[in-house]
Amino acid sequence: MSTDVSGSRSSTATPPAADDDGGASPAAARAAQRRVLRWRPDNGFAAAALRLLVALGGAMGLFAVLMLIKGVNPLAAYRDMFTSTFTSSTSLAGIAVRATPLILAGLAVAVPARAGLINVGGEGQLIMGGVAAMGMSLLLDGAVNGPVALVLMAVAAGIAGALWSGLAAILRLKGGISESVTTLLLNYVALDIMYFLIYERWKDREGSGQPATRALDKADRLPLLGDTRLHLGLLLSVIAVVAVYLVFRTTSWGFRLRVVGGNPEAARRAGLKVGVLLLTAMLVGGALAGLGGFTQLAGAEFKLRSGFVLGYGYVAYLASWLAGHKPIGVMLSCLLLSGIVIGGDSLQLDSGLPAAGVNVLMALLLLGVFGFATKREAAR
Amino acid sequence: MTIVTEVFTGGIRGGTSILYAALGESVSERAGVVNLGTEGSMLAGALAGYAVAAETGHPWLGAFAGAVAGGLLALVHAYMVLSRGANQLASGLVVLFLGLGLTSLFGVTYVQAVAPTFSPVAIPGLSAIPFIGPVFFEQDPLVYLSYALVPLLSWFLFRSRWGVLLRASGERSEVLVAHGHRVRPIQYAAVVGGGMLAGLGGVHLSTAYTKAWFENMAVGRGFVAVAVVMFASRRPIRVAGGAYLFGAALALSPALQARGFGINQFALDAVPYVVTLVVLIVFGRRQLRDVPEGLSKVFDAQPTR
Repeated sequence: MSTDVSGSRSSTATPPAADDDGGASPAAARAAQRRVLRWRPDNGFAAAALRLLVALGGAMGLFAVLMLIKGVNPLAAYRDMFTSTFTSSTSLAGIAVRATPLILAGLAVAVPARAGLINVGGEGQLIMGGVAAMGMSLLLDGAVNGPVALVLMAVAAGIAGALWSGLAAILRLKGGISESVTTLLLNYVALDIMYFLIYERWKDREGSGQPATRALDKADRLPLLGDTRLHLGLLLSVIAVVAVYLVFRTTSWGFRLRVVGGNPEAARRAGLKVGVLLLTAMLVGGALAGLGGFTQLAGAEFKLRSGFVLGYGYVAYLASWLAGHKPIGVMLSCLLLSGIVIGGDSLQLDSGLPAAGVNVLMALLLLGVFGFATKREAAR
Repeated sequence: MTIVTEVFTGGIRGGTSILYAALGESVSERAGVVNLGTEGSMLAGALAGYAVAAETGHPWLGAFAGAVAGGLLALVHAYMVLSRGANQLASGLVVLFLGLGLTSLFGVTYVQAVAPTFSPVAIPGLSAIPFIGPVFFEQDPLVYLSYALVPLLSWFLFRSRWGVLLRASGERSEVLVAHGHRVRPIQYAAVVGGGMLAGLGGVHLSTAYTKAWFENMAVGRGFVAVAVVMFASRRPIRVAGGAYLFGAALALSPALQARGFGINQFALDAVPYVVTLVVLIVFGRRQLRDVPEGLSKVFDAQPTR
């Protein structure tokens, strides 16, 4: 058959190579074009970086058009954004500080995702972590200070985050309710719990009247690294990234999670305890996000207020998707997204556009990556 | 005005924007597409509606523009999900951030602007009925439009031929293919139509409820709408009940506080979410059966043990 086809081709006196150049017939041209459009670099770090760069370039191009419409010179705006974000050590530190809770909340998406679970509840788990850490500090009330208090706060935060995600896991395992729905709903319950506490029970009566708790004692704050704004939480989040990476790579638990994520039915028949694995993946994820809430409280904000970690959980969710739920990639994409957010401050100061406008740049970048630079998911 | 009347009236006033968005999300989910970007469509609708009303002086032109803006944003989600195969939950969140960013960029000029707004119009006769009258028939025109929309959508989804096609596209798209229909245009129409309704919800928020535009003014109402849809298993009449329940919970605490009851607003705010969770737990199995099959792939709602 194939010889037949090539025979008929050569009889038209067109060399087969011309088909690929698209000069032969419209159909062949379209086929060649489709092949080019479908071309995707293989997986690998360099290819991933290339895809990201293309998406970033496209996003910046489109955002430049929007800036032109708003009467802002995009070249000047990008130059200001770049110089004020990447040449000052304070804003570089700002990126790392902002990325710290994001990284931990991003891992909270990545660990359950390995077992095929969708944790959209990073927001609520971050909040519950912050609430538990603050609660522990209020409970101790100066009886213990320093490292002991910090460890107790971290443990409380981890447990609170794990409980919050564990609730969703139990509902999935016992009630058959999708965790993506329950984690989303629990975000709002967590937010209302925090509001309830900071507007009433824990409100700082001597404060400025704003709904906020009192600030943590100087001794109950995470130590700073050198004379920067960077705090120990950054180290903690990097350790968590490495730990998750190693656990995924080297432990049987990490391997089993992947089996469950690949095909739960096959995993069950192979004798794996699927329920226990799903529960533990979700608990570990929630605990990591809870820790993220603790680092934000004890390292950066020092008190609960109404904008505490607002929106961080959703950005972290997207960061984990951006990285294909790979731990090292989660760290890098969290740094990238917080870089864009810090760049938004420059947008406001230097170009007079609202800082929230930078969400457009972030969204365009993510649309580029999700829609055009990653492998299509089947039936999702 | 008694407290009951006040809470019910406020429930309908505050619930209408959620109702529009939740009706839109129901249509979209019936076609098998979850749109977490509903919040973004609401913001786009709120700004476009307010801006066009301010520029032209006609609130109805604003309502039209708001619906178009909401639909355009949903079109981005539809394209990502249906044509580019992106993950629905992730794409929805991105669209939300896109809407948030775009409206804050282009909304700055309208923060202080004055626009003609929708005001309550009492319906002669009906508004004289005790209790029912002030609650249901002293509202603004967009609320009356939503009264008509609920049964209309219910009829459309469950009694019309188009509705059957739409639901089939979310349940068993291969059946549609076997019958010679094209699935994708139907799903596109459902998602964009859903976004237009969410946009109208945003219009109600800015031109009838708060009568102003400010950045991020939907503050989670889009997510509430998604929750209402789950609560109501994608049935328009139940969606209306759920939306008004959220609205009433929002109206209850100011009403109580005005009468000197020290009730914490946030304890009440959490009630609808907790109720939704409890409903899901109690009727979990039934809810699962109600989920369109195309959707259960997104949520992966197969119980795993």
